[in-house]
Parts: sequence; structure tokens; C-alpha cells
Amino acid sequence: MKKFKLLTTAALTMALAVPMALTSMSASAERYVLVSHAPDSDSWWNTVKNGLALAGKQMDVEVEYRNPPTGDLADMARIIQQATASKPDGIITTLADYNLLSGPIRNAVDQGINVIIMNSGTPKQARDVGALMFVGQPEYDAGFAAGERAKGDGVKSFLCVNHVISNPVVAERCRGFAEGLGVELGDSMIDSGQDPAEIKNRVLAYLSANPDTDAIITLGPTSADPTILALKQNGMAGQIYFGTFDLGANIVKAIKSGIIKWGIDQQPFLQSYLPVVILANYDRYGVLPGNNINSGPGFVTKDALGLVEKYAGEFR
Amino acid sequence: MSKAIIEMKKIEKHFGSVIALSGVSLKVMAGECLCLLGDNGAGKSTFIKTMSGVHKPSLGEIYFDGKPMNFDCPRDAITAGIATVYQDLAMIPLMSVARNFFMGNEPTKKIAGISFFDHKHANEVTMTEMKKMGIHLRSADQAVGTLSGGERQTVAIARAVHFGAKVLILDEPTSALGVRQTANVLATIDNVRKRGIAVVFITHNVRHAMAVGDRFTVLNRGKTLGTAKRGEITPEELQNLMAGGQTLASLEGSLAGTV
Amino acid sequence: MIEQTASQSISNSTPDEPQATEKLDEPQATGKSDERVKTRSSFRQALIGPELGGICGTILVFVFFFLTASDSGMFSAAGVMNWSVVSAQFIIIAVGACLLMISGEFDLSVGSMIGFSGMSIALLAVTFGWPVWLAIITTFILCMAIGALIGWVVTKTGLPSFIVSLAFLFILRGLTIFAAIATTNKTIVGGIRVAAEGDWLAPLFGGKVFTGVFQWMGNQGWIDTFSGGLKKGQPVVEGIPMLMVWAFVLVLFAHFLLTKTKFGNWIFASGGNAQAALYVGVPVNKVKILMFMFTAFCACVFATSQVMEFGSAGADRGLLKEFEAIISVVIGGALLTGGYGSVIGAALGAIIFGVVQQGLFFAGVESSLFRVFLGTILLFSVILNTYIRRMITGEK
Repeated sequence: MKKFKLLTTAALTMALAVPMALTSMSASAERYVLVSHAPDSDSWWNTVKNGLALAGKQMDVEVEYRNPPTGDLADMARIIQQATASKPDGIITTLADYNLLSGPIRNAVDQGINVIIMNSGTPKQARDVGALMFVGQPEYDAGFAAGERAKGDGVKSFLCVNHVISNPVVAERCRGFAEGLGVELGDSMIDSGQDPAEIKNRVLAYLSANPDTDAIITLGPTSADPTILALKQNGMAGQIYFGTFDLGANIVKAIKSGIIKWGIDQQPFLQSYLPVVILANYDRYGVLPGNNINSGPGFVTKDALGLVEKYAGEFR
Repeated sequence: MSKAIIEMKKIEKHFGSVIALSGVSLKVMAGECLCLLGDNGAGKSTFIKTMSGVHKPSLGEIYFDGKPMNFDCPRDAITAGIATVYQDLAMIPLMSVARNFFMGNEPTKKIAGISFFDHKHANEVTMTEMKKMGIHLRSADQAVGTLSGGERQTVAIARAVHFGAKVLILDEPTSALGVRQTANVLATIDNVRKRGIAVVFITHNVRHAMAVGDRFTVLNRGKTLGTAKRGEITPEELQNLMAGGQTLASLEGSLAGTV
Repeated sequence: MIEQTASQSISNSTPDEPQATEKLDEPQATGKSDERVKTRSSFRQALIGPELGGICGTILVFVFFFLTASDSGMFSAAGVMNWSVVSAQFIIIAVGACLLMISGEFDLSVGSMIGFSGMSIALLAVTFGWPVWLAIITTFILCMAIGALIGWVVTKTGLPSFIVSLAFLFILRGLTIFAAIATTNKTIVGGIRVAAEGDWLAPLFGGKVFTGVFQWMGNQGWIDTFSGGLKKGQPVVEGIPMLMVWAFVLVLFAHFLLTKTKFGNWIFASGGNAQAALYVGVPVNKVKILMFMFTAFCACVFATSQVMEFGSAGADRGLLKEFEAIISVVIGGALLTGGYGSVIGAALGAIIFGVVQQGLFFAGVESSLFRVFLGTILLFSVILNTYIRRMITGEK
């Protein structure tokens, strides 16, 4: 009996707690859902969340952020279908895998929901699924530009630390970099996993096995932070040519101290902030920019760090 | 004396360098209860596992119904009619009595060419068999976990008897039971013996053995210290034998002729 | 001396003998009241099964979402389809995990097996250009062979399946990524939908049934239709996906296997007490190996349906699905140590899992709180199930 009482109490507590966790809903406001492909553990997407929330506040619309907890893209497709069924005014999502996501996105578009593709995908793919536009950084082009820049600095070989081996779009950065540099990608890309200690050790192992590596490219804070530690440990910090994609608090510090030469900022803030603004204005006044928006690449070097440093991890 | 249903001749069992059994011989007649006594580590478990096909003897022969037998696995022994009820392993408490009763011997009926577990038959048989043993179940679906320890042993014994056991080996069936439950199990043993089934009753409790045993064999350090008939030996003597046979010499007279 | 002991033991058993007769007399003496008790107990029995927790949970979850998310489209045709498909996915892997868990083992490699089999189909069909049906059949054989291997290693070595399948979690995931990179330089292989066009086997996994009924319902205006694009006028829910048909068929099959057949009794026995089962002649190792193969089969059904529906296979598919399967089974009332559980319960657990996961999105709950809910539900269902199980089995 006592146990039953306990259970009922617990059930009641749960039932009461949930509605409080619900986001406040104002009936008239437009509602936009952002569906990302990032697992819960990916801290980089926090900037996207903050941009989304800020835009929601400024435009006075309701915004929701959704992601597959483990980063499984098939789960992401289900979330897009879910978002569609809840009939929002617009969906902002990524095209991490065109094959898989194009169907669900197309279905949303065909039900009259405005869709903007952000972050992953290409302008052409966005057009093919019927999205209004693409806001993001063309990954291959960004990698290519970085490769050309490194080539100009005399780099001949490199290591690409890929912590999201399962995401082919991100791997495009390495491919672009290799081609910008004019070398074969070959074995230069390693699958580092997501664990900081593992990433650090794998980088150390690669560098001791290939001591003549000229440059290191990391694909985001997840791989950059442990790589910084690895370089500090083996004494190569500041000597080896180190560039990274995306920014984070530690990356900004490393750029400041000269360990990282440059960071390519795709400015994720814009990728969630702009679509909300665009969708809201489109719904209200029917105005729409005439082209896709490249939120990046922007090279961040030691010389221009002021605001970046201030807002790193929050809006940058 | 009637013919032995099972006869073990000079059974030896070695585990690597350890000699668990060194030449144990034993006969069991139909309808008698042979008590196998011994202290812990005397080799009782190894011996019955050899008899029930779990272990193969390193040396020695087993005759069943006068024919030499060679058991490769417990299944062979069961098929031949040797059923073993292990103290802790007899029943699965989470499963229903009927499911336990028919475990490994499930009755099936064919519906549209597919074999189904015949629950109706299983439940009926279980209820009647348990009634015969003096246990009234609420339902054959009730989990074995809801039964007492003695009742569980009885279910296991009833199961073995139902599936045609000629020799029933009971591994310490009473050691974990209270007085009343022990009495229940001993009554069941008596019941089984009267149906003409040979019972091998392993125990280290002399009083339990005395209550139902027809003959008593004492094992010590992998050897038989001898076999005595009911009425030829006192509980104190048995107790001493089990304890290591310090008084063996003084007993030889009373054991003579039966070894 | 002897006589004394004998009489002692007789006096020991004498008090019991009248008792035994008492017991036998009982049904006659109290015949009427016994009948009454029996009917009540059979009603109680029907109510109190391993599924009880799952039934209560399912009702609670639906009531909860009716109250909090009824105006969010969760119970529109598309909404229902959404959480039903997600639940069906969980059901497919939960059914395999359920039988395996009842037989006393775990398989932590389910998630990796999903990624592996999906990639296997994609590579064979797209990269190597095999006919899709051949790719599917080959993959099924391959997966079940791996399942058998896991089972064989577990039964041969006597190691806990937790460790062995954990090893295969890494082995399969690594092989999947390696095979994808080595052959295509990518970790996602697409183009399967094109390859599967006109294939006879592919629709069995990726197709939809009852499309006519749904089109008709769309025409009647009962369910929403597409307002634009190529599918204009078609209903937003085109039909029942084969995924759900598979889930239904697998639940039926596994439920009958477990409760109505001889083999089902062996599954319970193997998990309840492998030694006891062995002693009465149940081929425990064979049962366990077959259950590992069945789990692999379920994972393969999951993967094939997913690949055929979405048209691509990714090396990271199915991440952590093994835990989702195990959680569903545990919510459904099965015992982690084996020997006890129910397929219907596991299916209900999967439905609870799927409805909660999607329902929280509908209800607009911050998505990071999903795990909090999952943990809470898991904890309470285990407490409730333990209580129910003790009532049934008299377990202490």
C-alpha cells in the first residue's frame, strides 16, 4: 500500500511538473521549429540555440529547437516528420544527408510549410527540396579557401582531425582543404571519435608516427580543444601550422596565444537568427531576400579578436 | 533379493590431479530407498553426477537393468529412466508449476500443422499429479516461487515420477527445509518407493536417512565405507562413519557380510 | 537404539500425516468457497501479468499527452503516424531483445548491427551493383551468422553476454565505418531508392499498404492532403508503412512462440535457471544461440526498413539503439536477469518510449529534458514492475 502511495505521489508530481516545463505559448504568434542534426553532446550548437532564442524574442515569435539525442540522422528525419505534423509556420533544418532528409522536408514543403535550410547542405540541394533558401557555409568551398591559404603559407602535408566521421558534409571540409592545397587526402583524415582524451592521444600518436606533418586542421571545438592540449604536451604548439573550422572559447584563446593560426568562422549565430527573421517577415509582409546567404567562411586571426573573444561560445 | 536396477562398479573420477572418487561400487534395487551418506566433500555430488550422466567416469562401469550403459549427457540418463532432483536447481521459481513440471518434456498438440504447447493438458496433469503427492495447488499457473521449499521438492519429485523415472536421485532434498516440510518430503519419498521406483537419497542427516532408508551407504574421501541394511546399524554408528570412521574397526563386525 | 530413533522419526512425521489428509480433505470440505476463490484468482491472474505495468504506463502516457498536447497535431493523422512509426521501430528491436533477455542474455550490439546491416545492403546494392533482393537476403544471412557467432562465443566461453556483445558493438561499428570509407570514401551511402526501383523484395520493407484506404480518406477530407508540389491532392499519410506491419507480425510471432510453444518454455527455462533446464534436457545453448540470431534478425529488419524508406545508409545509424531496446523491454516488465517477461509488455514499453519521445516534441517540451523523462519513466516502471512481479511469483 505504501508503495502504491509512493507511486501515485510520484506520478502526480510528474504530471504537475511537465506543464511547467512547456514553453509559454501565445496563441497568435508565428511558430518556427529548428531541427538540427547535432547530438546533445555537441556544444557548438549552443550558439545556434542562442541565436534562435534571440531572434524569437526580437521578432516576437515562438521558436523551438529540436535535435536527435544521439545524432542519428534517421531519428532526425522522424523529428522533421513530427515537426510537420505539429503544423508550424516554418521549419528551419539542416540537410546533413540529402538522401535521407529530402523526403521528409519535401513533404513539409508540400503541406505549405515554409522551409529554410541552414548549416549543412548546398544551395542546389536546398532548391531541390523546395526550401526558400540556404543559410550557411558551403563546406567544400570553405575548405578549399582554407587549403589555398595554407598553400600560400608553404604547407605541403597535413592532418585532418575529424570528430564527426559519420557526417559526410563535414568531411567535405577536409576534402576541400586537400584539394585547395593540391595534395591527395589519402590517410591525412583520421577518425578521432568524440572523447577528448581519445582525440588527444590519437593526435599525439599520429604526430609521432608522421613527424614531418606540416599542418593540423580540426573541424570544430570538439576536436580542436584536445588537439591544443596535445600540441602543448609534445611541444609543437605554436610551431606546427594549426587551423580550425568553427570557433569556441578555447579556440579563441589559442588564436590569441598564437597556437592556432586562424579559425574559420561560419558564424552559426546567423544561421539560426537570420532564418527566423526572414521567415517572420515573409509570413507577415511577404518579403524575401532574392538569394542564398553565406554565413561564412570568415577567417578569424589574431588581429581581429575583440568581439569574438567577448561572445565566444555564446553568439560567436 | 531382487535384481539391481542400477549397479555402479568401481567408479573412479579424476579432475586433473584430484581424485574425487576412487573405486565406488553400489547397487540399487527397484522399490528400495538407498541412503547415500557422507560429510561435505566426501564425493556424494560427484558420484550422483556420474550416475545421472553429468560427468563421465574416468574408470569403472555402470549397469542399468543388467546392461552396461554409457551416458554422454544428462539427457541420455533421463531417457534411460534415471531422474535427478538437485536441491537448488530443481525448479525455476519465476515459472508456473505446470511450465516447470513439463520443462524439457512439453506436451504439444498440432493446430493447423503448427505444434503448440498444450497448456490445458499440462495444467490438468500437473494438478492431478500434485494431488497424488498430497499437495493441493491453487492453480497450475501459479509460480513455483509461491510454493514452500518442501512443496518445490515435491513438484520436482512428482515430475520425475510422472516422466517414467525408474531411479530417482535426490540430492539433499531436506537440507534446507524446516521440520514439517522435511516430513512432507520424506512422506513423498516413501510414496514413491511404494510405487516400485528405486530412490537414491543423498543426505548428511542421519535421522532423515533412518526415517525412510532401506539401506545406508557411507562415502568418505571418495570411497565407500560400507553398506548396511536397515536394522543392522544404529544412528550413532552411522554418524561416526560419516565423521571419518575413527570407530570403523569396532564396526567391522556389524558390517560383515553386507559389504 | 535403532528403535528409539525410528520411533522418533515416526513421531516426527506423524503430526504431519493428519495434516496431509487435512490438505486432501480441504477441497471437499470447503468445496464451494474454493470455487469462488478460484474464479476471483483467475480474474486477478488475468489482470496481474508482467504486462500490467506496461498497460498502466501506456494509459497514463496517453492521458497525459491528451491533456497537454491534444491541440498540437499529435493526434492528427500525420501526428499519429509519426509516433506510431517511431514506436514500431522500437517494437521491432524490443521484440528481439525481449526474447533474448528472457532467455537470460543481453545483446548490446543491436545498434551497431543496425548500422552494419544497413551499410551492408547499401554497399552491396549501390557500390557493387548487386540486385537489391540479393543484397537484402545476403545481409540477412550475414547478420544472423554474426548473431550466431555472438551466441556461440557466449555459450562456449561462458563469458557474460554483456561483455561479448559489447565487444561486437565496437567490432561491428568499426567494420561499418571502415567498409564505408574503404569502398566509397564516404560514411553515408545513398542512391538505394533508385537501385530498389522495380525490385520485388524491397517493397516488403520500404513499401506501404492500404494506400487506397488512405487516399479515399484523404478524398473524404478526413485526413489532410498535400496542398502543393508533386503530391498535390494526395493524403499526408499515404498508407501503413511496412515497418508497422513488421512490428505487428514480429510481436504476434514472438508472443505465440513464447507462450504457446514448447520452445517458448525452453526460452523461459534457459533464462530462469540454465543449470536446472540443462538437467531436465533443455538444449540451453541452442536456445540461446537461436535467440541471438533472432535479435540480429530483428535488427536487420529495422535497418532494412529504414534504408528502404529513407534511401540511404549511414555508418552512424542505430547509435545507442541497443539501450532503447533494452529500456523498452524493461519498461515492459521483463527481468534483467532473465526468465521472466512478456512480448506484449515489451511492445507496450516500446510504445510508451516512442510516444513519450515524440510526444514531448509535440508538447513543446525543451528537448534536452527528454532524457530526464526517460530516466524517470524507466525508474518508476522498474519499481512498479518489481512490485507486480513479486505479487505474481512470490519472489523475495
